Amino acid sequence: MEDCDLTVRIGRMNLKNPVVVSSGTFGFGEEFEDFFDLSRLGAIIPKGISLKPMAGNPPPRIFETEGGILNSIGLQNPGFREFIKSKLPYYKNLKTHLIINFFGNTQKEYVELARRFDDVAGISGLEMNISCPNVKRGGIVFGTDPQMAYRLVQAVRKATALTLIVKLSPNVTDIALMAKSVEEGGADAVSLVNTFRAMAVNIHTKKPELGNTIGGLSGPAIKPIALRMVWEVGQAVNIPIIGMGGIMNATDAIEFILVGASAIQIGTANLINPKTGIEVIHGIKKYLAQNKIDRIQKLVGTFG
Amino acid sequence: MLGIYCPPIANQIKPGQFVMLKVSDNMSPLLRRPFSVYKSYPASHPEKRKRGHLFILYKKVGEGTRRMTTLSKGQKVDLIGPLGNGFSLPPLPSSAHCVLIGGGVGIVSLYPLAEALRGRKCFVLIGGKTKNDILGAEDFRKLNSNILMATEDGSLGVRGTVVDLFISQTKKFKTNEKYYIYACGPVPMLRALAGTVKSKKFICQVSLETRMGCGFGACWGCVVKTKHPKIPYQRVCQEGPVFRIEDIAWE
Repeated sequence: MEDCDLTVRIGRMNLKNPVVVSSGTFGFGEEFEDFFDLSRLGAIIPKGISLKPMAGNPPPRIFETEGGILNSIGLQNPGFREFIKSKLPYYKNLKTHLIINFFGNTQKEYVELARRFDDVAGISGLEMNISCPNVKRGGIVFGTDPQMAYRLVQAVRKATALTLIVKLSPNVTDIALMAKSVEEGGADAVSLVNTFRAMAVNIHTKKPELGNTIGGLSGPAIKPIALRMVWEVGQAVNIPIIGMGGIMNATDAIEFILVGASAIQIGTANLINPKTGIEVIHGIKKYLAQNKIDRIQKLVGTFG
Repeated sequence: MLGIYCPPIANQIKPGQFVMLKVSDNMSPLLRRPFSVYKSYPASHPEKRKRGHLFILYKKVGEGTRRMTTLSKGQKVDLIGPLGNGFSLPPLPSSAHCVLIGGGVGIVSLYPLAEALRGRKCFVLIGGKTKNDILGAEDFRKLNSNILMATEDGSLGVRGTVVDLFISQTKKFKTNEKYYIYACGPVPMLRALAGTVKSKKFICQVSLETRMGCGFGACWGCVVKTKHPKIPYQRVCQEGPVFRIEDIAWE
């Protein structure tokens, strides 16, 4: 069983396995060190970083729905400088890839951040967030217009030699078209899906359950839609896909790999069972052994 | 009351810390729920049979707590803890007065504190909407705490809120002495309290309850607005759940 080859190539990165922990659900990593050795993961993606610090949205920021979680955190983060100063040193001792999720309000900000991270040692890749449903400007504006996304990725591509992953929003009519646009813009990979714009209402107070009214829905409730989107994107692009959306266990992860994901991200599940990442790695190994598949790469997109 | 055998947590947990409990092994409910630990029995506890146990006092309010009532003896549950920062006790030796103020289920997190403060000058004020909402009075009595109660309908103790009760007591407080106030309860109660403890003789800590995602600092879902100059929204699970009352932006 130990002989299975789990390595995956995403851009210039060779991941030791396809299991990545998703931005916004894994803190800055250190919150999980009591639970397992983070070096066992394929890669870590800490909380998204902007040029300037962001305070985030007013509470309540989280609400549980049937099989899912609504959140409106609003990208609270310490900003580039403070991240480099107080958070980055922690990752130096980890033997896994560090992928930085980042976002801006304008194209200029995206480019500036990419350039700055490009100069920082210890970073393997960048995940461009063009899909956060919880901030008014930036983010999702770029993520829903194929032309804008193309131009943005093209500009960011010129600013960095790091592996560039673009995180796509599911809040579009044709996600395959978005994926193609960012591929043409120069992305090395796409990750999908981010959360679905959604809301919840309290009939007693007649008010929204979230301070921001609208939030993003994640968790098992979105998995079937996320799977469909990964499958559609897989047929449209030639770059690797990192699939996510409600993955709770190895079975879910394998489904995403079968429909075309080269790697997967664990998101919401980290909050419930912080060891999900390790359990998924173990489960994938077991599945490969049982099915006498020696390399995970042979499994990608073999559905249908 | 839910009793759980978990020696690592029972040995380590400090007053004011909490645990995250997963009551179902399926998707409903999906998230863990935070609970204060009412009683815990570390390995050093004189009652041998209780060692390693902790007890959660809860009220049936939603699907999670409803499931908890259906748990049977010997069934395994999944919990993470101890989490968060507990209460800071007054420095020893101390003749400081301690006042514990609990509203509704908020009283639960104050019981371990009352145990830790045993032997000191300790007052406990318990409040609730009706007498059915007054929890733990008997247990506090066993600790020889001085207990006063308030109910909004007057069905037990004095009529009014627990903060009204506190205000009436402050008239008896000595001007030159320090009073350590510890409070836990719903936000309106704590906000009302914040307005009454501005004098320097009060050192007041509050334990907050907010909706939580993870409970261990990963999601930034449980934040509360504070007066922190750079980071207004602080995590209740990580920087809290205990805060100094003057650090919270109560508007």
